[in-house]
Amino acid sequence: MKEWMKTKEFMILMIVIAVFLIISIGNPTAFLTTGNIFDIVKSNLVLAIAAMGMLPIILTGGIDVSVGALMGVASVMSAYFMIHVSDNIALGFLAGALSGILFGAVNGAFIAFMKMPPIVATLGTLSIYQGLMNFITNGNWITNIPAGFVEFGKTYLFDLVPVQFIFLIVMVALTWWLLKYTYWGRGVFAIGGNIISAERIGFNVKRLQFMLYMFIGFVSGIAGVVRTSIFGQVDPKVFTGFELKVIGAVVVGGASTSGGYGSVLGTLLGVVLMGLLENGMILLKIPTFWQKIFIGSVILFAVTADILRAKRAEAKRIKVDVA
Amino acid sequence: MENEYFLRVRNVSKTFPSVKALDNVSFSVKTGEVHALIGENGAGKSTLIKILAGVYEPDPGAHIEIEGEVIGKLNPITSVRHGISIIFQDFSLFANLTVAENIAISSSLQQGSTLVDWKNMRQIARKAIDYLGVDIPLDSRLGNLSIAKQQLVAIARSLASNAKMIIMDEPTSALSKGEVDILFKIIRNLQADGISVVFVSHKLEELFEVCETFTILRDGKYIGDYPAREMDNSKLISLMVGRSVSYDRLEAKAIGETILEVQNLTKAGNFKDISFQLHRGEILGITGLVGSGRTEMVHALFGLNKPDNGTILLNGSPVDFATPSDAVAAGIAFVPENRALEGLVLRQNMRDNITLAVLDQLTNSLKLIDQKRLLNEAEKWIKEINVRPAVPDMPAGQFSGGNAQRIVIGKWLATHPKILIIDEPTNGIDVGAKAEIHRLMRQLADDGMAIIMISSELPEVLAISDRVLVMRRGRINGEFMGSQINSESIMNKAFLADNKVG
Ligand SMILES: Nc1ncnc2c1ncn2[C@@H]1O[C@H](COP(=O)(O)OP(=O)(O)OP(=O)(O)O)[C@@H](O)[C@H]1O
Ligand SMILES: [Mg+2]
Repeated sequence: MKEWMKTKEFMILMIVIAVFLIISIGNPTAFLTTGNIFDIVKSNLVLAIAAMGMLPIILTGGIDVSVGALMGVASVMSAYFMIHVSDNIALGFLAGALSGILFGAVNGAFIAFMKMPPIVATLGTLSIYQGLMNFITNGNWITNIPAGFVEFGKTYLFDLVPVQFIFLIVMVALTWWLLKYTYWGRGVFAIGGNIISAERIGFNVKRLQFMLYMFIGFVSGIAGVVRTSIFGQVDPKVFTGFELKVIGAVVVGGASTSGGYGSVLGTLLGVVLMGLLENGMILLKIPTFWQKIFIGSVILFAVTADILRAKRAEAKRIKVDVA
Repeated sequence: MENEYFLRVRNVSKTFPSVKALDNVSFSVKTGEVHALIGENGAGKSTLIKILAGVYEPDPGAHIEIEGEVIGKLNPITSVRHGISIIFQDFSLFANLTVAENIAISSSLQQGSTLVDWKNMRQIARKAIDYLGVDIPLDSRLGNLSIAKQQLVAIARSLASNAKMIIMDEPTSALSKGEVDILFKIIRNLQADGISVVFVSHKLEELFEVCETFTILRDGKYIGDYPAREMDNSKLISLMVGRSVSYDRLEAKAIGETILEVQNLTKAGNFKDISFQLHRGEILGITGLVGSGRTEMVHALFGLNKPDNGTILLNGSPVDFATPSDAVAAGIAFVPENRALEGLVLRQNMRDNITLAVLDQLTNSLKLIDQKRLLNEAEKWIKEINVRPAVPDMPAGQFSGGNAQRIVIGKWLATHPKILIIDEPTNGIDVGAKAEIHRLMRQLADDGMAIIMISSELPEVLAISDRVLVMRRGRINGEFMGSQINSESIMNKAFLADNKVG
């Protein structure tokens, strides 16, 4: 077997292909249409962007369950900005990104400087951000988004590629580059491998962690505004529970929940797999509660597989040369 | 002009909330010298090293001079920049990264770069690996390498950051004899190139092999510097502990009936055809080279490693432990070799760690934990195994390496096992305390416990084993009893196949 065939990414790709084949056979008329495929892409694009923010955090062994709320707050903020301040499209994105960074920084401050466990800190802010969002919007949809922005959201490049796709590519490329070619990214891997050692060789672990949570804030902000551009309106409730999908996609994409292992490619495949499963189950008319049970099981399966793999690798190392 | 001394340190103190770990310590290392730093568990060796690494800040008033330059404050980056490189007890490497990145990352980081130059990283790594003259693929994940190779990677990393002084904290505790020899050869090469090496170890024989000067710490105080040629084992020990210590042979009082019998135990790739008996009141020593299958074999007795074939009889009836908790329920305790990592909840205090395995026995009539009994039980074992400082509330992670080891031993003794399996009982434990641990083991055996002790340290095997099994390449290659137990015959069986002589 070739080296690359042993990677987690290859295994996930195989599963993706298998799932693709199963659904195609199960419901070929509805599944294999350009319209449906584009639907899958469009509805999972936002997920894919958000997952780019989650990956580095999971790589350090951290977690951010407030990601859905971050996206919600950021999209509300940017919508209000565009409605009341300026309908400039670039500034609209900037407003979303900046509010994401701001709220992410709050998470980061609790985690990096107050040494609060990430799950606790972000669970707290999840509730706060959701409350804040409901307070601002009264729970109502924001539908009066400036026409220019709504038009922009319907643009296709070369009459084929939705403009949102560009955002996905940019965010994926940015995350990949940051992780591979900056010491910030290598620090992310180092912390996930051994946080004490990372500190000892001179990584500024606190600052790095702080920036991680700002980064997911930034990414969520962009993801939120991208969603607004797709639907032309903001539904403050739509992001409730979104964190499960984001974290699920990263984990199903082969990232180890204890940190250290994972890749951008794997995460993308994880998103594709989750998207395919969701779409497939709808097309195969599986009841919603079964869908939920199934998705949850897939996530648990992925985590279990990761733990078993780590155990086997450990066992392999205590080998003795028997006479 | 060349500096005679690479490092000169004076008036270094370090106060932790609960202890003064260092009290006015001096430490000087010459350029190109191999220097030993020794002392009992908790003497302050690791603390001193961490100060030089810039990990801990010393109390005010410390004077640190590197190559004649007085240094105000050290942090992990400036320490490396001044040429100090530390190989910590746990190596501080990254199992999830490649060998190349592990080697080059700190030197690149130290240059303050923000962007990664992968080509340059590989070149740095290549150069360091070539200098060592070892064969380690740059692209393999570090976690897939043996401990010995990881050790070499750690050295390569020091070289890559242009270290002028490499400090190694107990570097040989996980290495076999052959691997130690390779390490020593490398140390001599480094020395020839003008690099100073500081060596922290409890294995005095090894230190005599490579070190020129000994610095001795005792209870955080500086005792003195001594040239190796004027020293011998017993002089060093009495300076370290302030009294003389000897390894007396401790004989068994009475050996009772068979409690455990192993027949033809086999596991492919681990061990083969293992048969022996263990009796009440007996200490059975199992020795052999590192990697001879000793640990894997006792894992099988504890439900950690399922054998392919063979029988284990406990009190005459066959047992088959699926998990360690089955073994514990049957009265077996296992103290693993890698205690600092495997045995402790580092954030919990010592009291809770020691009583962790016996919590269900320390309840009151309401089935709630009886805090008073818990404290009594913990204090009893703290005294028995002599942990210092004897502060039940101190978090386990704050104890020195050797004292953490003792806490794990205490935790297992608290389960009152009928059979105690103990892997390298005195690994990382100072010479003075070794004798204490030996006496404790003998005491336990005299009270009726049966003990299996894996040990690579011959003097230890000779001092307390009633019977010795020597393993070689997964098999029992020799068995000795009473007066037959001597170092020569054991070494022969450990190194040589059965039928060959010489
Ligand atoms: N972070 C800490 N907080 C509180 N006390 C500490 C801390 N680190 C070390 N100590 C204490 O400082 C003293 C010296 O510990 P140190 O680790 O330097 O000993 P050592 O000489 O390396 O011993 P060993 O041979 O057992 O490794 C010990 O009493 C230890 O409990
Ligand atoms: Mg130490």
